[in-house]
Amino acid sequence: MERRIRKVAVLGSGIMGSRIAAHMAGVGVEVLLLDIVPRERNAAEEAAGLDMASKKFRNRLVNDALQSALKSNPSPIYHPDFAKRISTGNFEDDMPRIKDADWIIEVVVERLDIKKTVFEQVEKYRKPGTLVSSNTSGIPIHLMLEGRSEDFRKHFLGTHFFNPPRYLKLLEIIPTPETSPEVVEFFMYYGDLFLGKSTVLCKDTPAFIANRVGIYSIMSLFHQVKEMGLTVEEVDKLTGPVLGRPKSATFRTTDVVGLDTLVHVANGLKASTPNDEMNHLFTLPPFIEQMQKDNKLGSKTEEGFYKKVRTADGGSEILTLDLDSLQYRPNKRASFKTLEATKPISDLKERLPVLCGGKDKAGDFYRKSFAGLFAYVSNRIPEIADEVFRVDEAMKAGFGWELGPFEYWDAIGLEKGLEYVAAEGLKVAAWITEMQAAGAKTFYQIENGKLKYYDPQSKTYKVVPGQDSFIILDRIRATKTVWQNAEAVVEDLGDGVLNIEFRSKMNTLGGGVIQGINKAFDLAEKDYRGLVIGNQAPNFSVGANLGMIFMMAIEQDYDELNMAVKIFQDTVMRVRYSAVPVVVAPHGMTLGGGCEMTLHADRVVAAAETYIGLVEFGVGVIPGGGGTKELTLRAADRYMKDDVELNTLRENYLTIGMAKVATSAHEAYGLGILRKGQDEIVLNKDRQIAAAKSAVIEMSDAGYTKPVQRKDIKVLGKQALGMFEIGAHSMVSAKFISEHDRLISRKLAYVMSGGDLSEPTLVSEQYLLDLEREAFLSLCGERKTLERIQHMLKTGKPLRN
Amino acid sequence: MMRTAYIVKGYRTAVGKAGRGAFRFMRPDDLAAQLIRKMMEEMPELDKNRIDDLIVGNAMPEAEQGLNVGRLISLMSLDTVKVPGMTVNRYCSSGLETIAIATAKIQQGMADCIIAGGVESMSYIPMGGYKVTPNLAVARLNPDWYWSMGLTAEAVANEYKVSREDQDAFALQSHLKAIAAQQEGRFDKDIMPIDFEEVFLDEKEKRHTRKITVTKDEGPRADTNVEALAKLKPVFANGGSVTAGNSSQTSDGAAFVMVMSEEMVKELNLTPIARLVSYAAAGVEPRIMGIGPVAAIPKALKLAGLKQDDIELIELNEAFASQSLAVVRTLGLDPSRINVNGGAIALGHPLGCTGGKLSVQLFNEMERRKQKYGMVTMCVGTGQGAAGVFEKM
Repeated sequence: MERRIRKVAVLGSGIMGSRIAAHMAGVGVEVLLLDIVPRERNAAEEAAGLDMASKKFRNRLVNDALQSALKSNPSPIYHPDFAKRISTGNFEDDMPRIKDADWIIEVVVERLDIKKTVFEQVEKYRKPGTLVSSNTSGIPIHLMLEGRSEDFRKHFLGTHFFNPPRYLKLLEIIPTPETSPEVVEFFMYYGDLFLGKSTVLCKDTPAFIANRVGIYSIMSLFHQVKEMGLTVEEVDKLTGPVLGRPKSATFRTTDVVGLDTLVHVANGLKASTPNDEMNHLFTLPPFIEQMQKDNKLGSKTEEGFYKKVRTADGGSEILTLDLDSLQYRPNKRASFKTLEATKPISDLKERLPVLCGGKDKAGDFYRKSFAGLFAYVSNRIPEIADEVFRVDEAMKAGFGWELGPFEYWDAIGLEKGLEYVAAEGLKVAAWITEMQAAGAKTFYQIENGKLKYYDPQSKTYKVVPGQDSFIILDRIRATKTVWQNAEAVVEDLGDGVLNIEFRSKMNTLGGGVIQGINKAFDLAEKDYRGLVIGNQAPNFSVGANLGMIFMMAIEQDYDELNMAVKIFQDTVMRVRYSAVPVVVAPHGMTLGGGCEMTLHADRVVAAAETYIGLVEFGVGVIPGGGGTKELTLRAADRYMKDDVELNTLRENYLTIGMAKVATSAHEAYGLGILRKGQDEIVLNKDRQIAAAKSAVIEMSDAGYTKPVQRKDIKVLGKQALGMFEIGAHSMVSAKFISEHDRLISRKLAYVMSGGDLSEPTLVSEQYLLDLEREAFLSLCGERKTLERIQHMLKTGKPLRN
Repeated sequence: MMRTAYIVKGYRTAVGKAGRGAFRFMRPDDLAAQLIRKMMEEMPELDKNRIDDLIVGNAMPEAEQGLNVGRLISLMSLDTVKVPGMTVNRYCSSGLETIAIATAKIQQGMADCIIAGGVESMSYIPMGGYKVTPNLAVARLNPDWYWSMGLTAEAVANEYKVSREDQDAFALQSHLKAIAAQQEGRFDKDIMPIDFEEVFLDEKEKRHTRKITVTKDEGPRADTNVEALAKLKPVFANGGSVTAGNSSQTSDGAAFVMVMSEEMVKELNLTPIARLVSYAAAGVEPRIMGIGPVAAIPKALKLAGLKQDDIELIELNEAFASQSLAVVRTLGLDPSRINVNGGAIALGHPLGCTGGKLSVQLFNEMERRKQKYGMVTMCVGTGQGAAGVFEKM
């Protein structure tokens, strides 16, 4: 039977429930969100004499929870309009409505008795065959089966989302022994393809995989930090991006999550894992207990390991907790020799051996931490998972680690890792020793672009399942590279499709990348069916190489700069006007030049999490790589007979003028950056390159013909200029923008109006590109623009001047 | 020899909130036509074919109120093709301007009987209209000629040093006076009930109709206070002082009067209500358009041969609290004679209708107070002011 999820019922509208509902609505499913009826009227309801039988009163909890979720930042839903797909109700009146649901997700409080009561209700109203799951993070799934029918049991399992469900990629799938294999398989597939998650199959063991290892990792740090004499800042420095982990690292993350939440899980683990050799680590160290007593729980109580305070001058300052005195003190910058030494190494896998080899406190810290982690995860197989990749997947997707524990170990080296473990007097599991004896030196191998993992049972390497739908560039680069330079790699994706991958810092579009793209076009036009412009870095591209532009501008090398911009424009135009279909695959930050590249694709295959926009105003210029031209063209294409054309043009002008950035691919449709019916969205970033490749093949199969260059773009000339002139003047007069903003606005207006023509005129793309380039160059001669660029290069933030 | 022209009838509709009020889907031509039709029902002695003209004031004469809506309203309301119609635009003084034109024509003997007034639907037509295309050359030299009214209100606040606190206090007074006036029924004689049928879909997309009669101004808020007003953010300028709370409301409404020669009044045995003694429009810097009445009021008084103190009651259109206060302070007007029943901040400002609406309000309040001279005045976009002096009969 082909299962389809058209409607879900989410039972419980707390932080997780409301956000799961929002994400489900975001992916296009109809959602019924239910919660309990309030016990009594609140003061306002009493004052208003609200009828306790009214929906307004009875659905108050669920409605309030949903509204607060929808207002939260970052948004839990791809587009605010999608919230219309959610209807709300309460357990007492609306439970019968779950009969229409294809999947019922329980997200009520973490109490088994209450969950059981809810499931009793669910059993009463659900249609046989309907999927039911619990989002518990701590209660064993099998305990929820008691009293349930056979049909219920067959269709029941744990589906554990991580907060926030839209953004955190992990979905743990926890079957019971009675769950039908078809149901497990369905969720592994559905979570990946439809919800955009990394689905990880877990055993029904305490806290499942990610929290078990994650909490171990944090708790062992809590125990270590004082004896190693490390400060809070130091630990966060050591366990942040340098280790391929989120910037919030350890303590800042704890503040965000809430110490109480963490303690709750740790206490649970303490009780439920008596046989865990590291069980003692789940006991809270005294300073954590004290923090809990002092209500230093993190963001929710406004103080934790860090505390934000107002300063006398009206600004704010972040203070840090001293772990001995438990008093706050000014932030001290952490610095380690070893970390300095690894600065030039951008590849984490290359950095790790250097970090662990450090002769300072940092080196000690890494050796000790990894020793603990390696021993711990080795002993969790097969307890929490039979396969190593599941542990790695869970940690990457659930905690934002760039590498999972076994991948860290591979990067550091099996032998080295074992040395560290021995030095700490710890013990690895027997299967590691067996593995070593068998001559296997790594947990993973790549063979023919397929990732294989070491299987302790068979003592062989097996292919990680589910890879067929993925193309992971890291795995094929070694064998499928057709051409490369320092900033770009062209890979053969198979079936006649090439990919050009940016490899520069933050994927900026400098000379090397531009050369690479042109090379890719040359190759593709000669021997291939088409080209994908895609990568799997955290961001697609943050835009042009500002440093290079700044140098040329400051040295007043305008001819050179003109040439560089011209080449960039020509390259972007080749995206559209090459002889082969070109698909661009944006994801993450796709700004400035990255957005311009996207705007010129034959088709875009965007990740749902794409933050795309033309942000050039922030650095004092207008889009000079075809972006201004393209938004002028797109406005013109929307003009209809007798329409007020100016208003349409104004929308696109404001998209650039306000440096609007879509906070999801869905929003990018609204900004006119993605084209409905032509550009696509994929939910799971891991599938993006494969989907882009399919799109190339599809276009090629449909008989791709290079588009004819446009010479029919209607520009409005003087009438548009007049409006923009007044708009900018009004904004300056109202002090909403600066004089320099006004100057940039005027340049933008001039390009988008096609100049000061007396009458609306049809112009070519090249005409607009030339205007755009001229405006860009003239702005690069402005002192205030240079100040903006310099500020951005220094701080990463826009300067308003 | 100049003849005398009297106003013999005058009504307004209630004023609806633009975009969300009862008139949001009431077309301006329908609204005006119904009001005139009902006004005519009160004058059975007048043969409609004898009406010489219908003059409609309108500030954004396009789309639903375009195509010389004055002529259309005549056809729609008077059941005859014989009464011509025209549309007049001087933005916010349009309604007053039409009374002046009607009066002047009758005085000159060019007509005996003219319907004058105005209508505006800000629900249908946004401020500035649908297509704003400033002249590029003008935009470069004098961009402030095209400023939004909010920006000019900020400029007046700055140049005339009107504080945020004073503006908010003025706004609150407007509401308090309007609420009191409503409670005491002081608008009952002004307002002609307007009824219409609304066709809509329910949640299940089933078609329904309901009959609506609108008799009450929607703007005044009994629940506002200084704290609530102080909380509002400035909308027109960063760091400014003009908020949604101390600006006039955008509105829908219509107001018309019947202006008639003395001869015809006698012939039909009608009772005159008032007469327009003088009317003047004047120009000021567009940047501080709100100060317009400062130029217009002395001009109108001079034409009338009256002193400022002779004017016992004034309807000063509250486009913004900042400009109202600047006008009052600059001319030294007596606050107790101004907007005794609240102003546009509470009651709304349907642009082209406003001149007619304020005139009708003025007549009825002067009747209650048994006063002789009154005035309607307002600032007008792009740097103008207008003022009309009335004598109550």
